[in-house]
Amino acid sequence: MAAGKEELIEKLYECVVEMEDEDVVDVCNEYLEAGYNAYDGIMEGLVAGMNKASELYDEEEYFVTDVLLCSDALYAGLEVLRPHLEASDVDGEAKKVVIGVVEGDTHDIGKNLVRIMLETAGFEIYDLGRDVPLDAFVEKAKEVDADIIAMSTLMTTTMSGMGTVIEKLKEAGIRDRVKVMVGGSPISRKFADEIGAEGYSVNAVEAVAVAKQLVGIE
Amino acid sequence: MLTARDRLVSVLDGEDVDRPPCICSGGMMNMVTVGLQDEIEVFFPEAHYDAEKMAALAKAVYDKGFFENYGVPFCMTVEAEAMGAEVTMGRKDREPHVTDYAFDDVRNYKQVKPMDLESGRAKVVLDAIKILKSYDDGVPIVGNLVGPISVASSVMDAVKYYKQLRKQRELSHEYMDWITDELIRFGIAQIEAGADVIAIADPSGTGEIMGPGPFQEYAVPYIEKLQRACQDAGAKTIVHICGQMHSVYDQIAQISADALSFDAVVPIKEARKNLPGRIVMGNVSTFAIERKDAEKVRQLTRTCIRNGSDIIAPACGLGMGSPSENVRAVLEAVRETEVAAG
Repeated sequence: MAAGKEELIEKLYECVVEMEDEDVVDVCNEYLEAGYNAYDGIMEGLVAGMNKASELYDEEEYFVTDVLLCSDALYAGLEVLRPHLEASDVDGEAKKVVIGVVEGDTHDIGKNLVRIMLETAGFEIYDLGRDVPLDAFVEKAKEVDADIIAMSTLMTTTMSGMGTVIEKLKEAGIRDRVKVMVGGSPISRKFADEIGAEGYSVNAVEAVAVAKQLVGIE
Repeated sequence: MLTARDRLVSVLDGEDVDRPPCICSGGMMNMVTVGLQDEIEVFFPEAHYDAEKMAALAKAVYDKGFFENYGVPFCMTVEAEAMGAEVTMGRKDREPHVTDYAFDDVRNYKQVKPMDLESGRAKVVLDAIKILKSYDDGVPIVGNLVGPISVASSVMDAVKYYKQLRKQRELSHEYMDWITDELIRFGIAQIEAGADVIAIADPSGTGEIMGPGPFQEYAVPYIEKLQRACQDAGAKTIVHICGQMHSVYDQIAQISADALSFDAVVPIKEARKNLPGRIVMGNVSTFAIERKDAEKVRQLTRTCIRNGSDIIAPACGLGMGSPSENVRAVLEAVRETEVAAG
């Protein structure tokens, strides 16, 4: 007997919250075999579960490593459901974010977290990775006509590179076309203001609200 | 007259002294700026792999009025590189950092090679300590170790590492124990070479990243094992923990290092309240040292002293471009208290 749609969506949600990156694949397959709509499974099941995980992170019930495991389940599920999306489900107008850890630093856990949260929130992400040469932010932003550049670092020794990127955006003449947001443990609101970054967030959950506000999404 | 070493060691022994020592340990807490390199014309990256240059910069930190200690190395890549991670040596204004992991699955941890203390940069560090020791000038020598979790997650793909802590617990513990034993060997070798103090910083093993449960399970026991082995070998120990502490004070209290050091997000008053009877080190904002003026740095240092920090130190590694005047302002403000006390 096939399980009901609501029941399976609930299971998808739980798989993400409970970090079940293997079970989630089985549930996704069962969901598709029963003929249910892939978009609903993604939005109401997987993404809702990821949103719950970020809520728990915000409440300090979950920590960084928990969220990473939840995102594994999210991505495992997405891989199964995404190919079954219909053309009308895909929103062509996603805002674009170029994200990376600035040159000199390879700590990318925080950046990965922000990327997951932004992706879950519907942004289109261009992830440059870690230890990213400062020029690469500018070049990529130009190439994809990015709405936002998001930079992070965990090291005080490399944070000044963020200011350099902003200078380079000015030199390239695209400073007014792209918003800049920064984060990472040594970064503060004050630092963001000083280098002229529009956005700053203390954590990955807040980063979503900041990004939305920067591009005018309610 | 109290030497800088006497003062630091006395404080770490819990004794009263004339004023707090003012140090910057090295390692993750790097204190060699571009300004200091220019001043004595010894430069990165050569100083990362040349013992005489490393010792010369470490000595300049004291001689040029930056801090009251010698400390080596100036990065946190020596251990990971010796265990097979790929490292770039950086530039004059950029520290070395890991660019590629040695492996990506804890099930293969036995492939990781033990540290060779007879060659490479581990030997450079030991030789630099021996050179500094030969000065026998009353300046304390701080040897540095990267903490077990940060090394484990620099040798192995970090994201995979954190995930496998949950899913491969037994093997993860084996891996952590192996890493810790390697670090103990390196620590004891530094002590035998002449280090008075061993400072351990574990920026990837924080309560914020891991949460209290895994922090208790994977950070505390191995940091404690490492620091205890260094104490048993005759050194004083300092453990620096990054990030917010409020969720993990109970766990931190189980680490019996001679001093605990915190970064700028932790108010010294809060640390003192939550860790009664412990020696607390910190935490002058490195942001202010790099970007504000000397007067602001002096003010922050005074606040730090007033709030009860036992050892005055920058909250993190110094930004490479920090103006020398600002760096010196920390020690100047600490010395003022000496004059004021008469």
